[in-house]
Amino acid sequence: MSFLFGGGARQDPGAVDPMKIEMAVAELDMITDVFNRLVNSCHAKCIQPNPMSHRYAEGDLLKGEAVCIDRCSAKFFEVNKVVGEKMQAMGQGAQATGSFGR
Amino acid sequence: MNNPPLLAPIYLPGQEPLPAGTTPSEREEMAQMMRYQKMLGYAMESCPLKVGMSGGAGFALGGFFALMSATFAYEDPLSRASQKLVGTRAQTAYVFKEMGRNMWSSGKGFAKVGAVYSGIECCIEGYRAKNDITNAVAGGFLAGAVLARHSGPAAMAGGGAAFAAFSGVIDWWLRRPAADEI
Repeated sequence: MSFLFGGGARQDPGAVDPMKIEMAVAELDMITDVFNRLVNSCHAKCIQPNPMSHRYAEGDLLKGEAVCIDRCSAKFFEVNKVVGEKMQAMGQGAQATGSFGR
Repeated sequence: MNNPPLLAPIYLPGQEPLPAGTTPSEREEMAQMMRYQKMLGYAMESCPLKVGMSGGAGFALGGFFALMSATFAYEDPLSRASQKLVGTRAQTAYVFKEMGRNMWSSGKGFAKVGAVYSGIECCIEGYRAKNDITNAVAGGFLAGAVLARHSGPAAMAGGGAAFAAFSGVIDWWLRRPAADEI
């Protein structure tokens, strides 16, 4: 995922190449999907509406929640990166042996 | 805010769409203002500021209590405050100096209590990354133990338990659902 993010500049005027537009749309979909997953999972993890411990007493993020969200998003990207590397290794192995076996 | 909510951050940091006609220097100024605002936000929620504010509030509270109790000190014939000096002026000066001394020492004591408790609770909450009542109870126990450190381990345990119960009750009362909540 990280290698795609650097090429996110869509500033070429008059880029009518349909291939590029498709790539741009696909990348936008991916980024939006990752963002939504990250927001949902970190919200579910860190902001717990358990009425005995915490029930949205104020709109600002409390200190514990802010720390939790920092750590949650860092871990999310870390997991993303590690899983991506393992997938790449598996892909290389599959290319070498010619199958997606175990 | 450079993105409306519920949308992914798809613009590179320097190229968000701003109203037409913003020069690059204006863009930089806006970015810098955002950075300052964010830093101010971090500072407001940081532990040192909380410790300072609690210490200041404790100091003010201790001073107020000492101010109120200074009026009752003149009834006690054995206390230093009811000493009689020659002349109204000397007596007045003495009274005010005694009051100032008591206010200072009482304020320092309360400031210590407030700062220690607030600092420990902030650190526990930052470590656990949760906002719970056990932060207050654990912080109260440690603060009570720290404040009683000169009196031996039994006093530390007892003081810690008492402070933990006290701060736990106060935090529970603060967290109760308000009367008009469903």
